[in-house]
Amino acid sequence: MFQFAQFAATRFGLAIVTLLLVSFIVFSLMELVPGNCAERYLAFKNTQGSQITVEDIAAEEKRLGLDRPFIVRWGSWVGNVFLKGDFGESCILRLSINRLLGEKIFLTLGICFTSLLFAYLIAIPFGMISATSTSATANNAVRFVSYLGLAMPNFLLALMIMLFSTVVFGDSLTGLFSKEFRDAPWSYDRVIDFLSRAWLPIFILGWSATAFALQTVRALMSDEIGKLYVTAAKARGVSGARLLWRYPARHALGPIVNSLGFDLNRVFNELPIVAVILTLTEMGALLLESLARSNDQQLAGAIIFILTASIVFLNFITDMLLAVLDPRVRRSVMGG
Amino acid sequence: MTQPLISVENLSIKFHTDEGLITAVDKISFDIAPGEVLGLVGESGSGKSVTAKALMQLNSSNTVYTDDSRITLQTDDGTIDILELKKAKELNLIRGGAISMIFQEPMASFAPAITVGKQMVEQLMLHSSMTKKEAREHAIDMLDRVGISDAARRFDQHAFEFSGGMRQRAMIAMALSTKPKLLIADEPTTALDVTIQAQVIDLMKDLVEEFGMAILFITHDLGVIAQTADRVAVMYLGELVETGSVRQVIREPAHPYTQGLLNALPKLEKLDEPLTPVPGDIPSPLERPSGCVFHTRCSQFIEGTCDASIPSVTALADGHAAACFVVDQAVRGKTEVPA
Repeated sequence: MFQFAQFAATRFGLAIVTLLLVSFIVFSLMELVPGNCAERYLAFKNTQGSQITVEDIAAEEKRLGLDRPFIVRWGSWVGNVFLKGDFGESCILRLSINRLLGEKIFLTLGICFTSLLFAYLIAIPFGMISATSTSATANNAVRFVSYLGLAMPNFLLALMIMLFSTVVFGDSLTGLFSKEFRDAPWSYDRVIDFLSRAWLPIFILGWSATAFALQTVRALMSDEIGKLYVTAAKARGVSGARLLWRYPARHALGPIVNSLGFDLNRVFNELPIVAVILTLTEMGALLLESLARSNDQQLAGAIIFILTASIVFLNFITDMLLAVLDPRVRRSVMGG
Repeated sequence: MTQPLISVENLSIKFHTDEGLITAVDKISFDIAPGEVLGLVGESGSGKSVTAKALMQLNSSNTVYTDDSRITLQTDDGTIDILELKKAKELNLIRGGAISMIFQEPMASFAPAITVGKQMVEQLMLHSSMTKKEAREHAIDMLDRVGISDAARRFDQHAFEFSGGMRQRAMIAMALSTKPKLLIADEPTTALDVTIQAQVIDLMKDLVEEFGMAILFITHDLGVIAQTADRVAVMYLGELVETGSVRQVIREPAHPYTQGLLNALPKLEKLDEPLTPVPGDIPSPLERPSGCVFHTRCSQFIEGTCDASIPSVTALADGHAAACFVVDQAVRGKTEVPA
């Protein structure tokens, strides 16, 4: 137990180091975008009709602390993020990023993790059935559905569902809330309204993740089932569900757990596109807006950092899970 | 003669494959007496393992046993017709109960993420009325009996923490823990180096005597057979070509295939001479030769006979028999001349 705590602490330390590195890369990338926050804001003001001068920009830079060296600015940014959880102010909107993101962070992460959960809840049992069943029909059905999921782009699926629901129900199902609840405070009705809409992005994001996970589970299970230790267990009289769960399923679990972080990454990649099509107001849409349209480097940096951090966090969790599940991993990381 | 412990009659095993129905084993019959060690010898692909797995119905789901195939096992509670067993509960009587099996690769036959002890206890709980605590004690005792030192600590370890020889010892301990009537050992020493091989064979011989069980010992190594078996059955392409006591088969091999196998062994007095292999390769089961299956590689091939009809089994001496036209003619010649 002590060893496990030690292992967890080491992994946690490594995760923090990874996050620091990530923050440095993200900060540097944002720095590479031409211009800085001061210029951007004043340029924005210019379009509103105010006259601005070079002195104005210099003053603004000084006010924002942009005249300090790069490393110092990174240090203060990362310090605020790690110690206070404060991402600073958006360049354009002049609002606290924390306020701006607010519940959006949780909505976004909620949607992503739920679609991942949805994917694995379907993929694990069906993948196992498909690997153990000798029925050609069942196998072909699983294969067909998963190839469809792998081959069909998410945005196409989203468009098709929208079209269908517009024609049939007269509601395109876009957005995360219907009009009357969009800016209403949280209430029971608002939660219901949210759930009645959130299933769509969850379904669309989960769709290809499911197809992928299904293939992974199926391949791993068929591989494990053919192994000698399964025959040996059978020869000892182990049978039925006990044989399946305790032997091949348990041993196929490791690589599946390992693929979680990777899958979350894929879901994040697909999120902005799906968000645009479904006109979601969550973080993915905001990321696209801040990166592509308004060039709000502070906001974009914050969002990218949050998404990466959640992947690093998930990887930390899967590492812990693997060590619990597989004694070989445990031994290789903790010795003895 | 005592009643055989297990009796295999007309066993034919076929597999459904994409290329059609393939014959892996063709009408073989043999018996194993209680306490007897039968060595089953043959090249890879001769059907030894498939035959052994049939005794526990462990072949994959595409396996077909022909209707006249019968495998009967005598137990204290009567006769069991093994191929008729269907339900998991019935199969449990033999799998890990009356029959245990050990495999070629001890590493691969333990589940990697479950401790050796847990796997042993699981088997004991399935086949006896022991409590978990009793099963644990019995398992540790068994590990100790097969010569694993510090058995109580080893009990909680995983197979990957054991050495190769220790894994096979643990496998033997697990197989014998339920006191089976028959132990099937599928090339148990092939993956081990020679010194460990000798230790494992000695251990098995000791335990056979102690537990009074029969062994079906599968190997391609005639040296190992000479050390362990009472009787030998030689298989070629799914057919039993010769059976007899170890002495008979090794001293006076009758079938050209057995002779070829023995000639192929390196000889201590002529180490510089090249080895004499049995010419050719074992044919694909998809293209089983007509007549005697061995005729394509036989040095004593009789044209028009061996490739035309299937040789029947000729009895040579007490318990010694071979399926070969050459042998048959020689025997007939002997019996005909004095008459």
